[in-house]
Amino acid sequence: MSILGVPVLENRYPVTMDMWPVEHKAFNRIHRFYEHLKEGRLTTTRCKSCSHTAFPPRVICPECLGEDLEWIDLPKEGKVLVFTEQVKGVPLGFQAPLIHAWIDLGPQSPIPRLLSRIINCEAGRLKEGDEVRLVVFEVPSHPIEIKKETITAERVYYAFEPKG
Amino acid sequence: MGNRRACIIGGGMSQWGVREASLVDMTQEAGKACMEDVPGLTPKDIDGFLFASSYAGRCSFQTNTAPVMAERLGLKPTSICARVDVLCAGGSTGILLAKGLVESGMADIVMVAGGEKLYTPQKWEVFYSELASIDHDWDAPHGLGLPPPYFALTAKEHMRRYSTTKEHLAAVSVTNYNYGLNNPKGQFHKQLTMEEAMAAPLVVDPLTLYDCCPITDGAAAVIIALEDRAKDLTDRPLVYIRGGAQVSLHSVSANWPGEHLADWAHLRKAAEKAYATAKVSPQEIDVAQTHDCFTISEIIEVEELGFCKKGEGGDFVAAGEINLGGKVPINTDGGLLSCGHPFGATGIRMGMEIMRQLQGRAANQVPGATIGLTHNLSGLNVEHTIVVYGREPLP
Ligand SMILES: [Zn+2]
Repeated sequence: MSILGVPVLENRYPVTMDMWPVEHKAFNRIHRFYEHLKEGRLTTTRCKSCSHTAFPPRVICPECLGEDLEWIDLPKEGKVLVFTEQVKGVPLGFQAPLIHAWIDLGPQSPIPRLLSRIINCEAGRLKEGDEVRLVVFEVPSHPIEIKKETITAERVYYAFEPKG
Repeated sequence: MGNRRACIIGGGMSQWGVREASLVDMTQEAGKACMEDVPGLTPKDIDGFLFASSYAGRCSFQTNTAPVMAERLGLKPTSICARVDVLCAGGSTGILLAKGLVESGMADIVMVAGGEKLYTPQKWEVFYSELASIDHDWDAPHGLGLPPPYFALTAKEHMRRYSTTKEHLAAVSVTNYNYGLNNPKGQFHKQLTMEEAMAAPLVVDPLTLYDCCPITDGAAAVIIALEDRAKDLTDRPLVYIRGGAQVSLHSVSANWPGEHLADWAHLRKAAEKAYATAKVSPQEIDVAQTHDCFTISEIIEVEELGFCKKGEGGDFVAAGEINLGGKVPINTDGGLLSCGHPFGATGIRMGMEIMRQLQGRAANQVPGATIGLTHNLSGLNVEHTIVVYGREPLP
């Protein structure tokens, strides 16, 4: 659709103005996080020198500044501690009900809690204490210029969904 | 340089609300009101300029805003001319930086201005743009840009742990809206009753309409001056910037620093540091402006700032302790709930109100107030900023 009065933007997708990360390896050094998501894994980086695990993944260790980091898997299941359901005024790009939950990943997880969107869940269904699991989904792809070629970069993101 | 002390000597603001005006227009309105508040002051006296704004780049397609605003205001800064971006705490950050510039000898008279033009020609852009306010790659993809869901989670947690009720939340709305009735520059002038607040439409459970601050266009400005220059420029009582603190312990929600969402460890740390630098105790605060972006925020803030015990914030506000005559009158000009919240301008409005309270010329005057405090939280509750003001300089 053309944009009246803004011919310069016609058919252009300003990818730096959407809410998803620019995931392609040409634009960040933690692209393996997104590649792991495509394999159904939620991962982050751990420092090989001091064993500190950080989330989100890094390119340096925030404890010892080491650069020798390894990827580790985080739990793919957790329990809802507290949640909210937004039915009105959800931002463009999201559907109602927009559900947010504070999720306990369990005592074994190096990252104890995550805040996540809950999808595949109708309004009124979720309860505190419910078990949820990781779900990975496609988000809009975008053009990316690499050298003289324009390719389409596929993207994914994650949320959690009720288990069972 | 030990004897150089910074004072806040004047301030002004544009009309706040849904404005038929640009950011540049509103900054001029605020700058004029500010300079006219100090009759002895001319633009030539001002050697430093800080401009607090976070959305100029997104909503006005204008980065590097400080020279633009300085030029329109007729300022020709020679010590500093820069923009400050700390979202909701930008204005207070500017005031803390101006204190440092003045007391270090870098500057003598600094204007700290700030503003936001948030209403864009198409409304969807306003809400969509807020996705830029939080940690982009990790929280925005969960649709967390607009803050109500996060503070709704916080409210649920506080209600469950401390038996806080919807009536407690409503007590904050009623108090702040009614304080705002005689603030002509604020966004709302609405006599709010408890019944109306309790029956308001739902935003995100348990938050309803009057629990949430609105989206606001507006600007504000204050003058921070070296004590000796301040004495020449104004006959009003001097108000010193005694101390302050800004604490940031995390950014992504997963790294929340408290035990739970109603436990604001970063605010406790900021309060401890601010009281220490200002050499005051929470019991000595006569009047405060705390960041009431949501009613639940003010309830948790009175706890973490030490005005009452943890978990007793609901009872504290419902007992009228934040009203005139209470222990610590709070948000006496209407706060974010009634004045609105153009992010970069908010801390400046707060500083201006505390200045007026300590000078004895506030619309809702706290009799004999000598020590006041402003507090901002910013972003997705990722940073806390406190400024302590006093009629007396640091001992
Ligand atoms: Zn390390």
